[in-house]
Amino acid sequence: MKSFLKSTLPVNLVFVLLSLFFSILSANAQAPQEEQRVYIKVEIFGLACPYCAYGMEQDLLQLAGVDKVDIQLKEGLAYLSTPVEQKPGKKEIAKVVEDGGFTVGKIEYSDKPFE
Amino acid sequence: MNKTFCLLIALFLTGMGFAQGPPILTGTPVMLGLEGNGLRTFGKLILKEEGFVYVQPLGIPYNISPKFQVGGILPFKYVKPGEAEAASGLTDASVFAKYQIFKRDGRAKTFRILAKVQHTFPSGNTLSSPPIGAGIHQTYVGFVAGRISSSIGLYSDFGYVFTSRKAADRFLYNFGVSLPLLPPKYPQKQLNTLLELNGSYLVPLDLHTLFLSPGIQFIPGRRILFEASFQIPVLFRTRFNIIDSNKTRYVVLLGTRFLLH
Repeated sequence: MKSFLKSTLPVNLVFVLLSLFFSILSANAQAPQEEQRVYIKVEIFGLACPYCAYGMEQDLLQLAGVDKVDIQLKEGLAYLSTPVEQKPGKKEIAKVVEDGGFTVGKIEYSDKPFE
Repeated sequence: MNKTFCLLIALFLTGMGFAQGPPILTGTPVMLGLEGNGLRTFGKLILKEEGFVYVQPLGIPYNISPKFQVGGILPFKYVKPGEAEAASGLTDASVFAKYQIFKRDGRAKTFRILAKVQHTFPSGNTLSSPPIGAGIHQTYVGFVAGRISSSIGLYSDFGYVFTSRKAADRFLYNFGVSLPLLPPKYPQKQLNTLLELNGSYLVPLDLHTLFLSPGIQFIPGRRILFEASFQIPVLFRTRFNIIDSNKTRYVVLLGTRFLLH
């Protein structure tokens, strides 16, 4: 038993070290690179009822890169974010709001989520 | 009647301070959300002095642009006049168009006015007994106005119905107030209370009728709405003798609206 362990130990050790090395390597390869995002706050006038917000939410979700829209009804604000490279222009956002039947106000960009 | 009215007002005022939903029997100038690109249907049971009428329309609005909506209404009707035999079938179909002529938006509030035209075709069966269709063309021309904020919705519509063959032309008017019972958040469940007044004046008969209509709405999610309304006649005045059996005792409405996308 002792001789068996003695003879296989170096091989096992190499195996363990190799698998450790490859697992670290593959983990690094799979780790998502932190995506840089831009956060957008849109002031929307006329957004008076919760049932009207649905259409606006759907329209804003059509903007490239937008996967979530948070609508604050009482404040008349919509918060959205996109990857930096897909950042929509103010004109593009304004068109979506106006085409949705509302009036657009101030549009702000930030590299951090709005409070 | 006064006691009922006071109780309704008191119940209604408890909801003040939150957001509200679309009116049930009055037109809304907002052609968005559950008011556009969806389906609307309701069952309306009209209890007469003798017999009853059940109407189930299916309305399909389509927004051509945020300012312009067209649509169609296809109603099913079941008429049971007292002891006589009942008749049922698809009744007069309508097409309508609404165009926004004024809009003033503010933070969590809006004031809008629409012009509305609706034409009803005599597509229902008039040979059945009792007849299902009116057998005449009817054209409604009117306006829909509303001031909606996150705390209250005030709605009104009024217009004139021109009929072919000099049948009973009439003036229609509706007022509605909508109040929420839950805070104005999106998305979330909504529970709204409504109080509406629905009037009509039949010109040739000099018949003025007015209904007081309390209602309630439940919006469980983003795309569906359930509503119920109870219409009580508060005025039925004419200088002619109208057959009493045709007088409405009350109306019960149960409906739903569903967004297609």
